[in-house]
Amino acid sequence: MQYLTDVSAHRTSTGLNNRKLLMWAFLGSDVLFFGTLIATHLVYRGKSVSGPAEAILDIPVTSVSTFVLLMSSLAMVLALAAVQKGDISRGRFWLAATALLGMGFIGFQMFEFTEFAHEGLTPRTNLFGSTFLIMTGFHGAHVTVGILWLWSLFFASFNGKVRQDNSLDVEIAGLYWHFVDIVWIVIFGVVYLIGAYGVEETVHAGVGTLSALG
Amino acid sequence: MVANIGTLPRPLAPTGVWAWMTTVDHKKIGVLYGVTAFFFFLLGGLEALFMRVQLATADADIISAGTFNSLFTMHGTTMVFMVVMPAGAAFFNFLIPLMIGARDVAFPRLNALSYWVFLFGALLMNFSFFMNAFPDIGWFGYAPLTAIEYTTSNATDYWVLGLQIMGIGTLAAGFNFVVTILNLRAPGMTLMRMPVFVWMTLIVAFLIIFAFPPLTIALTFLLFDRLFDTNFFLNIGAGSDPLLWQHLFWVFGHPEVYILILPAMGIVSDVLPTFSRKPLFGYSTIVFAGVVIAFLGFGVWAHHMLTTGLGPWANAAFAGTTMTIAIPTGVKIFNWLATLYGGQLHFKTPMLFALGFISMFMLGGLSGMMHAVVPVDTQHQDTYFVVAHFHYVLFGGSIFGLMAGLYYWFPKMTGRMMSESLGKLHFWLMLIGFNLTFMPMHILGVLGMPRRIYTYSEGQGWEALNLLVSFGAVIIALSILVLIINIARSVRQGEIAGDNPWDAATLEWSIPSPPPHYNFAVVPTVRSQYPLWDEEANAVAPPPLPAHEEPQMPSPSYWPIVIAFAITMVGGGLLVWQAHAIAGLTIISSMGLLGMRGIYGWVFEPLEVEEAVHVHH
Amino acid sequence: MAHEIEMHENHPGPRQYVVIGVILAVLTALEVGAFLIEGVNPALMVSILLTLSFVKFALVVGYFMHLKFDDQRFLLLFVVPFIVMASILVALLALFQNLTR
Repeated sequence: MQYLTDVSAHRTSTGLNNRKLLMWAFLGSDVLFFGTLIATHLVYRGKSVSGPAEAILDIPVTSVSTFVLLMSSLAMVLALAAVQKGDISRGRFWLAATALLGMGFIGFQMFEFTEFAHEGLTPRTNLFGSTFLIMTGFHGAHVTVGILWLWSLFFASFNGKVRQDNSLDVEIAGLYWHFVDIVWIVIFGVVYLIGAYGVEETVHAGVGTLSALG
Repeated sequence: MVANIGTLPRPLAPTGVWAWMTTVDHKKIGVLYGVTAFFFFLLGGLEALFMRVQLATADADIISAGTFNSLFTMHGTTMVFMVVMPAGAAFFNFLIPLMIGARDVAFPRLNALSYWVFLFGALLMNFSFFMNAFPDIGWFGYAPLTAIEYTTSNATDYWVLGLQIMGIGTLAAGFNFVVTILNLRAPGMTLMRMPVFVWMTLIVAFLIIFAFPPLTIALTFLLFDRLFDTNFFLNIGAGSDPLLWQHLFWVFGHPEVYILILPAMGIVSDVLPTFSRKPLFGYSTIVFAGVVIAFLGFGVWAHHMLTTGLGPWANAAFAGTTMTIAIPTGVKIFNWLATLYGGQLHFKTPMLFALGFISMFMLGGLSGMMHAVVPVDTQHQDTYFVVAHFHYVLFGGSIFGLMAGLYYWFPKMTGRMMSESLGKLHFWLMLIGFNLTFMPMHILGVLGMPRRIYTYSEGQGWEALNLLVSFGAVIIALSILVLIINIARSVRQGEIAGDNPWDAATLEWSIPSPPPHYNFAVVPTVRSQYPLWDEEANAVAPPPLPAHEEPQMPSPSYWPIVIAFAITMVGGGLLVWQAHAIAGLTIISSMGLLGMRGIYGWVFEPLEVEEAVHVHH
Repeated sequence: MAHEIEMHENHPGPRQYVVIGVILAVLTALEVGAFLIEGVNPALMVSILLTLSFVKFALVVGYFMHLKFDDQRFLLLFVVPFIVMASILVALLALFQNLTR
């Protein structure tokens, strides 16, 4: 069963909304985009000639940023639920929450990258630096586009441009946002956890950082 | 209703050049693609002719080695990305809505963006010629030749950026046609009642959206290696593997060749029934074979790399998948032949080119199968045998198929017939010239003549064949001249075509030639694969609608061309940045902002603006 | 012209979404917890982590992206490129001899 949320519900041959179909097609394409980035990183795993590799990763800190991004997905779906019920101000609140949590994630990423640079890892350093930083960099760029989109919806809601009858606009933004989240789920699981399993310093370094923050 | 969001008022009834620059009408966009593709066809052909002049005799020094490198690089890049793909796009754009009974594509402004981004990307790459930086690294840009230390200019950066920008247009078109074909079909047109050309376009659209991202990534890696000293392909000391470039390129590149051939196969599948006066044999089989080819196409890429030391297991696996893909391809050929069998054959020019397609493509497929035998490929790799193979499938296949489409649908697009006698002359000259040019290359390849050499010594036994090849190329050029004359005369003086000059069966022939702005006066209800052959013989098309009854169509917009310009200038800014950092960064940031402004303008303007009086755009 | 939103019986509400959110957090904690256990057979650890990641993935896709309740053709559009990408990834790892840890 589908719920009809498009005010201009032109008849389509499949019964599926044009823009929703477009977003799913785009996400399918983005699977190949991120898949290629991840594949390149995995192909070069363990082959860096010099310089830091998985040992530089900070699992405890990244666990926190991962949690933040996951919670942003929750906020997103709560925003959609609110708009679908016609509660625009609650929807607006959750849209802002999503964007803020996303900005928190980006903040963590920027902190992580600057730390890495201080510890001698940049895209130029070695295979790990190039593949890891460009992959997560593209992910961060996707998150940033999403943040801009969310704030645009937030401000548009003050002009009556976000309503129950066009909640599809929020739904489509949500699909993009959740996709960016699941890409991170894969990266965190495969690149961070599986990639760094058994590598000592990732835990000790992280504990040090957390206690320094505390 | 607000009619302007930008500082410039929205054009509602533009005329002249401004009308073309702001059009969102799929038919106009199709014409833009077609004219542009034809221009680049001539340019790419010229690049080929220069090569053939240089290679006609041994030890010639008409063209230097460096220039020759640029010629074969740009000939290949141009023909693949600026000719065959946009020519396919010309047909998709003009025809798909007409064939499925729709008034336009799903996203008309995105459609316009696709064209302009393609044009500007193509112009950017070719602009390099004037900067003494014409790309010279081969159409597939193998690492580590693309490293800064092996090139004297930033030609490679022009190549990368041009491809990335054109790629954006292609991807956008892919998304647009997936949604259009799935969602905008007329009532009763189930997927299995669509013309085969529409099916092939749908498959191509999926291939595009899944195959282009790996290319985007590969090109980004290459650019970063060159500009920012990262380690993806070019830093051997850091462990970079140049072979990774080949893998990523061909993961894209092999599906790409199916993107190049499937539209031609679709055209032929629609032309043959019309000129055989019988339905296509095995419609479902041909459709299913197309789907299988698309899937398998992602599994054969390393057959371009069989001599790079992948090892026997990898070689065997990819040879196996390559041989497997011959099966659905062969199935299609048999179905086309069965369509002809027992038919009442009319050998008009579109039919001649369709028959030329089948035979020439088959020869190309056979030489391809020879490559699939790994030990034989070891001899073929990097010789003229490969050049012969891919010209048989891309020229004998794609170009011949596109020519069939041109002659077939020219009447629908312009309202006039092309000259049959000039058409036949074009066909025969082209068929003979083509075979004289490319058949000897098989022999030259087996005799050991390598690809991409700018000259060869006398006494190797290659002179006579090379002279023959060059002669054949001149014949091809003559045939194109005949085509140009035919087009020029027919556009103005061709016989008036009427709605359905070929007595064909599909929906585009049920409306006037050229079609009105809104395509269909009444959206048809479809009951079969051959709607016009199933109607009563005396069915009369509804008359064109009076102006006040015309349906509201999407309004013109300048945001697509503005955004396309902004995207291209970001690329240009990157090139400027190499020489002058501040200027480059200024361009990149200002153009980036312009692009974002464009996106907001687009999102917040309505697709259609109510007009007091319906005007033709 | 406002359209009613058809509330399917299984269509999750905010409460269910919060529950999913909590589950996702717990799964993440389990992942990190598993990671911290030293000396586990690498192949086993990979399987555990992949499974946990996959469950998180499926929850977000199924519930937050609503794919469990939506038209199955969206699922097809999403799954097919996954299969293509996964095959290419495995092939590339094998070709670069980096398939096993």
